[in-house]
Amino acid sequence: MRRLFADRLVIATAVIVILLSVLFALLRTAG
Amino acid sequence: MLAPLFALLFGPLPPARDFWTEFSVAIGYVGLAIMGLQFGLTARFRYVTDPWGEDVIYHFHRRISLVAVGLVIAHPIILFVVRPELLALLNSFQAPWRARFAALSTYSLVALVVMALWRTKLNIRYETWHLTHIVLAVVAIAAGVAHMVGWGFYLDAPWKRALWIGLTLFWIGLLMYVRIVKPFLMLRRPYRVVEVRKERGDTCTLVMRPDGHAGFRFSPGQFGWLTLWASPFRITGHPFSLSSSAAVEDGRVEMTIRNLGDFTARIPEVPVGQRVYLDGPYGAFTIDRNPADMHVLIAGGVGITPMMSIIRTLADRGDRRPVTLLYGSKDWESITFREELEAQQKRLDLTIVHVLAHPPAHWTGEKGFIDAALLKRHLPPPYADHEYFICGPDPMMDAIEQALRELDVPLAKYHSERYSFV
Repeated sequence: MRRLFADRLVIATAVIVILLSVLFALLRTAG
Repeated sequence: MLAPLFALLFGPLPPARDFWTEFSVAIGYVGLAIMGLQFGLTARFRYVTDPWGEDVIYHFHRRISLVAVGLVIAHPIILFVVRPELLALLNSFQAPWRARFAALSTYSLVALVVMALWRTKLNIRYETWHLTHIVLAVVAIAAGVAHMVGWGFYLDAPWKRALWIGLTLFWIGLLMYVRIVKPFLMLRRPYRVVEVRKERGDTCTLVMRPDGHAGFRFSPGQFGWLTLWASPFRITGHPFSLSSSAAVEDGRVEMTIRNLGDFTARIPEVPVGQRVYLDGPYGAFTIDRNPADMHVLIAGGVGITPMMSIIRTLADRGDRRPVTLLYGSKDWESITFREELEAQQKRLDLTIVHVLAHPPAHWTGEKGFIDAALLKRHLPPPYADHEYFICGPDPMMDAIEQALRELDVPLAKYHSERYSFV
């Protein structure tokens, strides 16, 4: 049960860090 | 994880490069930060592990580490695609140190992942792997930060350099705490083996008493790390469930260990009087945090050990709530604790269902594996009202979790511990 939650947390973390890395790059390139 | 990255945006900034270069730099920083988080996850802090259980924390550690490694490896790949001139940095003989550190960090990470994923297939001893794992992780982190500082694009300001170097020192400090401070504290709290008891099923119980201290209190179902034949500074701790009653007052603890052909094969040779070290208790797998009107214990093989602690503790506490034990074993003769379980039925409202993979000819009980049909035959409905505790080999755990889903048992009602988590 908790492993399932952990798997979902991993996927959510991966998505969030990639999206925020995109945001970081956009903030930089947008000047 | 992301705060140290976005902190880089404060203060004067160098001119921005193209989107993909900035994105690749961002995922490099984030990947390293997630790697640093692993030192905290595996430092055995109870406020981190207790809400989830150590097996789940290690499961999360393995999965999220793959994300971190993926980000770190994607960082140079993206750069090589958008700026092919950087491919020259792969020549470590001519590349500057900042690029050599990047290569060292990446190669260490790849080696770390390969050894972690295929340790058994590569036939690497657990102790060798554990030591290598730690060394590679430290090298990967330190070389990664050296690469960042050496490149200096975002870490030109002293406070930014101090932030990332400080973070790295903090992560490595967590490792030092686990490997130096904690073993030092354990050294002052040794245990002595007072009995080595042979059990059915090629299994032995070590009975241990605290030597010169009061020991620790635990909840039935929890486990500890046992260090045998070595000082606690050596990387030789192995996790085993505590099988004794948690109601015992004198600090005595027992671990019941099956011979699985590795370190465990030498357990019967442990002499009485042997000094050992215990780090514990750990784990969320306990009835004390999950009260219920009826407990259903599902054990496979040596997965009986935490269940035995639960049964003994309930008996010592005079608990009269019904308990059903579904116990899968290879055959009748190898059922660990068979006689004691029968004896405990006199002290508890305990129903035992043995499930044998290889039953004898006259056997009329359950055989094969535990599935939804077997659960329905032995448990009173409504199934969602009971609290389930499951411990055994991974395939059995997967099958039972599936069976409980078929019976519409909510996720919150079943608790599992996988003993193959390291």
